[in-house]
Amino acid sequence: MASICKAMSRWRVSVLSAHLLSVLSRMPARDVVALADDVLASLRDVRVIQNRTGIVMLPYRDSAKGVTFHLGEVLMAEAHVRITLPAGRQVEGYGACLGRDVRHALAIAVLDAALRGGVQVERIEAFVTAQAAALDAQDAALLAKVEATRVVMETF
Amino acid sequence: MYVAARGGEGAIQNAERLYRELIGHFDAETVRTIERAMPYLIDRVMGEGSLYAPELAALALAQSGGDLYEAVLMLRAFRSTQPRLAYARVVDAERMLVVRRISAAFKDIPGGQVLGPTLDYSHRVLDLAVLEGEPTTQPRGHEELEKDEPFESLYLRGEKNHLPLVADWQRDAGLLPMLPVHPCQEATEIPDVTREPLLFPAPRAMRLQSLSRADTGGVLALGYANMRGYGAVHPTVNEVRLGYADVEIVHPITGEPFSIGRVRVTHAEVVTAVEAAPAGNDASAGEPAKLQLALGFCATVGWNEVKTIAGAMLDMAMDLPDPHPSHTEEYVLYHTDPVESSGFCIHYKLPHYVTFGSELDVVRSVGAAKKVSGLGDYYGDGSGLAAGMPGVYSERATPPVSEAAGEQV
Repeated sequence: MASICKAMSRWRVSVLSAHLLSVLSRMPARDVVALADDVLASLRDVRVIQNRTGIVMLPYRDSAKGVTFHLGEVLMAEAHVRITLPAGRQVEGYGACLGRDVRHALAIAVLDAALRGGVQVERIEAFVTAQAAALDAQDAALLAKVEATRVVMETF
Repeated sequence: MYVAARGGEGAIQNAERLYRELIGHFDAETVRTIERAMPYLIDRVMGEGSLYAPELAALALAQSGGDLYEAVLMLRAFRSTQPRLAYARVVDAERMLVVRRISAAFKDIPGGQVLGPTLDYSHRVLDLAVLEGEPTTQPRGHEELEKDEPFESLYLRGEKNHLPLVADWQRDAGLLPMLPVHPCQEATEIPDVTREPLLFPAPRAMRLQSLSRADTGGVLALGYANMRGYGAVHPTVNEVRLGYADVEIVHPITGEPFSIGRVRVTHAEVVTAVEAAPAGNDASAGEPAKLQLALGFCATVGWNEVKTIAGAMLDMAMDLPDPHPSHTEEYVLYHTDPVESSGFCIHYKLPHYVTFGSELDVVRSVGAAKKVSGLGDYYGDGSGLAAGMPGVYSERATPPVSEAAGEQV
């Protein structure tokens, strides 16, 4: 039972981590960096393993014949960090975002490591939840405008 | 033939300085303004540059003074300096955040027709009042867009914006043949024109990748020639879909996929009836050929409807036998790469003194041998031109021309 709980906990953190990264990558960099700066204060020894720009290839599926092909490349920034928790345990974190803002990616990686290390989890979760709601509202507002362009055709 | 030349460094530096002076100063604010105000231009540069990076596309446009081919070249050059960090998960067109989706083939498609952001149905009239300081004119009905409250809750429940692919609906209805089953393929195994030479017949993945990064004008010119009747394809637009696609990569620690952001994407299909390939003994039985619907397809990063519709037509044309060059894969794909084609065109500006000198020799030889009046007079004996020719040519005497050589020409 304990091992099941532990596995569930790991799975929850993984899923939460993926959700967190998806939201943080779409947020303004300054807000993410500000939160990461606050969280950094409670971390010992943060080591940056990788922080760089690069490209990610985007595959797409052809709807005519079902072939997968490369649509094009996308500029991205990524960061990989290792933090040392107060108890001495080390945890790694990863962050990535579109564009070339390596600080944004680094901030996401720090928050990812903090979340997975159990540091300021509630604060990070609350921040991400609020931001996710704001992003959903933006999408909904856009799609409401899109919906207003729907064509209702009459047949004569 | 080329010849090494030296000199002109000062002139080159002054030429660049003059270029910069004439296009004017630009800074980070200029770049941000271009990115914000000209998204379709940015999309064109990104699509042809094959790199989704709006900020850098705007910078390339500012730096090149708006010369599209220069901007595309700069973006591709930058791309070549960057390591490939990952392969994203395959984009599922049905899961995109779709803002525009229309079909000219069927009016009642599942999910309906949504015009989205477009000027397709508007008057193309210059808004001259803007030049007098007036704000841009908002079309009537704008306020109504803000009032559509019920949609928000429907969207959040996932009941709206689900727009299935028209082609899938047609397959379910038996109008199109079912898709063949392709074996699962790692992204790294997908043929890639940036890593391997384009050979013919090209794998379909390479054809579609080439069309995705092709020159809009080139694709349109060949597609238009085909549509006008030089080719054999005059299809209908089955679906045009514009939206935002998530770029999903796998977290290297947890293995969970996550989105690093969204990119604008265009997806277009055209449909027409073609002769079905004979099956079994049909061909030998002499039965009339059967017709079936077939699709052409093209997609690109960024929103670019003209390129994808023309590209989809060319995709279909390349599968059909016809003498027109737009039906030939090699012709279409080699001649529509913006960097290859513009680069080859402008390379003619580079010194070709020896090449041209050789050509001049031939012309003069023919003129001397056949005593062509007019041509010989025009070129003279070359002494006036020799001063402008580099080294070898100016020191050469006019080659003797034998009667035999003259007759061979």
